[in-house]
Amino acid sequence: MKAYFNYFKLRVITNLQYRAAALAGISTQFFFGITYIMLYLALYESNTSANVPMDLQSLVTYLWLQQSFFALIYPFLKDQDLLKMIKNGNLAYELIRPQSFYFKFYIKMISERLVAASLRCLPIIIVGLLLPSPYKLGLPASVESFLLFIVSLSLSCLLVSALSMIIHIITLFTIDSRGIISGYSVIAEVFMGAVIPLPFFPNFLIKIGNYLPFRFIGDFPYRVYSGSISVIEGRNLLFGSISWLIIAIIVGYLISKVALKKAVIQGG
Amino acid sequence: MFFESIKMNIKSQLEYKSSFIINSISQFFIFFTFYFMIIALFQKFNNIRGFTVYEVLLCFSIIQFGFAFTETFFRGIDRFEDLIIDGRLDRYLVRPRGILFQTLCSEIDLVKIFRIIQALIIMVIALIKLDITWNILKVMVLIFMMIASILIFFGLFVLTASYCFITVQGLEVKNLLTDGGKNLAQYPISIYRKGVVFVFTFIIPYGFINYYPLLYFLGKTNNILYLFSPFMVLLFLIPCLLSFKIGLKHYNSVGS
Repeated sequence: MKAYFNYFKLRVITNLQYRAAALAGISTQFFFGITYIMLYLALYESNTSANVPMDLQSLVTYLWLQQSFFALIYPFLKDQDLLKMIKNGNLAYELIRPQSFYFKFYIKMISERLVAASLRCLPIIIVGLLLPSPYKLGLPASVESFLLFIVSLSLSCLLVSALSMIIHIITLFTIDSRGIISGYSVIAEVFMGAVIPLPFFPNFLIKIGNYLPFRFIGDFPYRVYSGSISVIEGRNLLFGSISWLIIAIIVGYLISKVALKKAVIQGG
Repeated sequence: MFFESIKMNIKSQLEYKSSFIINSISQFFIFFTFYFMIIALFQKFNNIRGFTVYEVLLCFSIIQFGFAFTETFFRGIDRFEDLIIDGRLDRYLVRPRGILFQTLCSEIDLVKIFRIIQALIIMVIALIKLDITWNILKVMVLIFMMIASILIFFGLFVLTASYCFITVQGLEVKNLLTDGGKNLAQYPISIYRKGVVFVFTFIIPYGFINYYPLLYFLGKTNNILYLFSPFMVLLFLIPCLLSFKIGLKHYNSVGS
């Protein structure tokens, strides 16, 4: 366990090097936040009688949270080290190390997200809170929903990393990584509500979304914060979050075992 | 000569067939999400500041077309920092052709051709549904918009490429200008607040590509000036090309 913890610490320090990238990230996130809010404002203002699934303030809050924690849970993270290793065969070295290959890279992914997000989220949140009314990042609906938000967001990060691990390991079987990762990312992005929030989906897609793990990544934490998902419903959803996380880790771990057993070292 | 090198590029990419097919399919789906967003939103709302869903789709498909076209055929300029970093630029400098021309020839990304096709399909659907009274001027304005859309992204790519001369590394601001701008310009620009409209009309002229000409095309205005507004993009190209020239003059090789 201590080895994993030390590895985590090492990764955090390495990732802290990329502060300039964080600055660029903040400006991008900010730009996207503002444009999306303006877009929805225009939609709400020109359809005053429309039957909207979310009120404007929760929607704006949703959008700001999405931008603030983008780095924590975006699905299209590519671990270049891992992919390179898979391609050039250096993965073989990992087999002789005493630590589990799966958990080592799982921890690497989580630490990368944690550092990237912690460098970026605060400025966006602070500015969001200070903005005037229609653009404002609202306060949480209640103390309880805020707690649920924190817990579910942490679970999101663990879940999205576990799913990423599965996708990365699958590339062991196919060699070509680009198509699979981007295909997965599209589905994940749509169903975690990164393109538009889930309540705006047509009904049949909402139903599909409920059976997939992705809504626990993006949709659940951001909506429970603003009260768009009630505290009672949120408590129940927490079970879904945890079960998907356990499933994803077990599946990832097992296929990593199978993959490594089957791995053919292509020359030395 | 440009077509000759395109042909060679296509040939080399088709060598990896299965990978090409997987990538093309995923490309098609990635960009479907953008259209999905518009269509899903218009299930709940019926207009955005007076624009209907097909008008928005037309507006977006024009921008998407230009972006996809530039990314497919002018890939080299998009990845200009690679040229500098791995020293290929030094080789180009000793050849008897323009640098920009050689860069354009260097790489095309065939996979992205599916985005062009997709944009064209959406455009045609929108045009059919919109019920437009066609005349020669409307055909002209549509063609102007498509060409201008290609040119603006070309200009932006050149601009950021010239920035690479200074920083060597690529730049995230570029994503802000191209991806961000593209994202913003998928809707008629008038839906945004004044400051945004000003920046994206007079500094980066997205507005002149798919908003003012669109008004004319949809018959929302009869002002003939709007027909020629896509030409404003030529003004935008001047500083882009100029900065590239200046950058090239001050270029120091990274050594090899």
